[in-house]
Amino acid sequence: MQGAALLGPGIVWYVGIAGFLFGIGALGVLVRRNPLIVLLSLEIMLNGANLALIAFARSAGNGAGQIFALAVMAVAASEVCVGLGLVVALHRRRLPLDVDRLSELRG
Amino acid sequence: MITGAWLCLFAPLAGAVLITLCGTRIPRRAAGWISTLSVFIAFGGAVWSFLALRSHGSDHGAISTAWTWLESGSFKVGLSVLVDPLSTMMMLIVTGVGGLIVLYSIGYMDGDPEERRYFAYMSFFVFSMQLLVQGGNLLLLLAGWGLVGLSSYLLIGFWHEKPSAVAAAKKAFVMNAFGDATMALAFFVLIFHSGSLEFATSFTTAGHLSQTTVNLVALGLLGGAAAKSAQIPLHTWLPDAMEGPTPVSALIHAATMVTAGVYLIARTHPIFEQARTIELVAAGMGALTLLVAGLVALVQTDIKRVIAYSTMSQIGYMFLGAGVGAYANGMFHLMTHAFFKALLFMGAGLVIHALAGEQDIRKMGGIGKLMPWTRWMFLIASLALVGIFPFAGFFSKDSIIAATLNVGWYGYVLWGAALAGAFLTGLYTFRLYFIVFPGEPSAFAEEHHHDHHGLEGPWTMLIPVGVLTVLSAAGGWIQFSPYWQLVTDWLDPVARTLGVAEPTNTQEWVSTGLALGLGLGGMAVAYAIYGSGRLAVPRLPAVQRALEHKLYFDEAYDALFFKPSAALATQLRRLVEDPFVLAAGPDLGETAMDAGRLVRRLQTGMLRTYVLFLGMGMAVMAVVFLVVR
Repeated sequence: MQGAALLGPGIVWYVGIAGFLFGIGALGVLVRRNPLIVLLSLEIMLNGANLALIAFARSAGNGAGQIFALAVMAVAASEVCVGLGLVVALHRRRLPLDVDRLSELRG
Repeated sequence: MITGAWLCLFAPLAGAVLITLCGTRIPRRAAGWISTLSVFIAFGGAVWSFLALRSHGSDHGAISTAWTWLESGSFKVGLSVLVDPLSTMMMLIVTGVGGLIVLYSIGYMDGDPEERRYFAYMSFFVFSMQLLVQGGNLLLLLAGWGLVGLSSYLLIGFWHEKPSAVAAAKKAFVMNAFGDATMALAFFVLIFHSGSLEFATSFTTAGHLSQTTVNLVALGLLGGAAAKSAQIPLHTWLPDAMEGPTPVSALIHAATMVTAGVYLIARTHPIFEQARTIELVAAGMGALTLLVAGLVALVQTDIKRVIAYSTMSQIGYMFLGAGVGAYANGMFHLMTHAFFKALLFMGAGLVIHALAGEQDIRKMGGIGKLMPWTRWMFLIASLALVGIFPFAGFFSKDSIIAATLNVGWYGYVLWGAALAGAFLTGLYTFRLYFIVFPGEPSAFAEEHHHDHHGLEGPWTMLIPVGVLTVLSAAGGWIQFSPYWQLVTDWLDPVARTLGVAEPTNTQEWVSTGLALGLGLGGMAVAYAIYGSGRLAVPRLPAVQRALEHKLYFDEAYDALFFKPSAALATQLRRLVEDPFVLAAGPDLGETAMDAGRLVRRLQTGMLRTYVLFLGMGMAVMAVVFLVVR
């Protein structure tokens, strides 16, 4: 495994792209108001994290990171299920699809 | 042998569970029959164990463990039953007399709106008592000990709409909880030193402990025994326990549960023998109780309370026997006492039943003319209680009195007390008999008496009474010291009588003669005062007042424990509760609400602020981890 370490670019590039993806996602979650887009942005954040995990796994020559990535995917899939379900439910009840206006929890 | 024992243990529990689960889906009558059947099945199991043990020889007792019940480090306790001579004897007494009394209850409790609950409790009690006597280690014994206390509490307070019954139940429970606590402390000491609560290990360990330690253990056990068996100074709950239904008094507060203290001493006698001082204290306690209870019984006017004091007094005899080391004699008296005392209570129950619930003996005069059979059987039970030849009490009580004679000067004191007790027994028993039964029926009895289709009670009540009458009359013949000693021989492998408690033949005869004479003397005095009226009741107002107040034990406890704690509580309320706790309440609330108002601004309800906080938190943590590390 150690020998078959990273081919091509070095680890810094991978982590850089992972951080970039995470940043894009985070920005999307913060500024977008459509819940659908928020969910998509969340996915991008998760994928940034996944990329970092796998890159580190390859660079360290150790499989543990890949297992984490698989677990993250499973969590992401379930999370999308719930999230999309919520969006559909909101739509059915003719509620505004705008996270800023869904603020009933305000204290 | 073991199968019988398991059957004996769990049949009553099954009965109780069945009645509880069926609830109102079964008729009331059925609950009584389920309960009776379950206890008689248990009796079958007990007979089975007994016969098997007898064919193996009584020194071949066995312990069977179903599974490990508790485990903590090296300390391990199994759910196990023990079949040995002592436990089989108790099994036979508890389920035999218990079955008869549950059968009697069917007639007695007929028409009570909560019959089913009553029978579920009764079965549950028999199960608890079986656990107590069959438990294969001290912890199971303690579990049974606690459960009989619970059943006793439930049954004393069975008529929960009566405030006096509820108070009596509470009193019994608290007194018994005290005993349970001292027993538990004794067990902690044992666990600390031996790491086990198995009978055999504990008894061997007791031999290696220092005298102080073993005295403490024995004292703890004695505390439990005294509370359960209503010995002075923990006796005040028993007379009040008569608030329960009469069959409950017969089963729990006469025949079985209250004698558990005697069983405990016989069972743990190796510990008591290491702490001989404490054992002799137990004997002294018994002697004191039998005298005091006998005296107090002289002035009671409630038919059940007279019998309750007589129970205390007879258990005093058993403690006396077990305390000096004549365990078999104590156990033998326990057995005969179960017969005749249950019978006395049942007789009282028949009278109370026929008089629509009246318990005051001053209103009952001459009931014998209306209930001739009850009169005869009450007479037999009374003669057995006084210890008149050839009835059961004669054989068991006299051998206890004789057993005290070789214990030195202390033994002579005990002997004197026991003989004085024999006189008192004759006096109070026949005072009760002569007031209630002979002569012309009183106006009250004529007016309220009603028979039961020409019988003196329903047949479910009469059959157990008949069986117990036979047992009270003839049950003592199984042991006639010094000629044959079946009970002593049977118990020999587990509870061998100490050499010092074996009287010579002369001592035996002298004691027997004196006890018989004094018993007859007591009866004669009772006849002269209450039967023929030739003597007036001695007028000693001070003594009478003291006895009517039961020698002021209740008042003393009230002044010693209740009043100080009540006063302390009042003071605490005035000095601590009011100025600090109560005053602090509103301020505390205001402060909390102000804080809430402040914090609630954070809850904007907007997703992005939450995410922002989340991100900021992560950033702070990242910095902390990177920089501080």
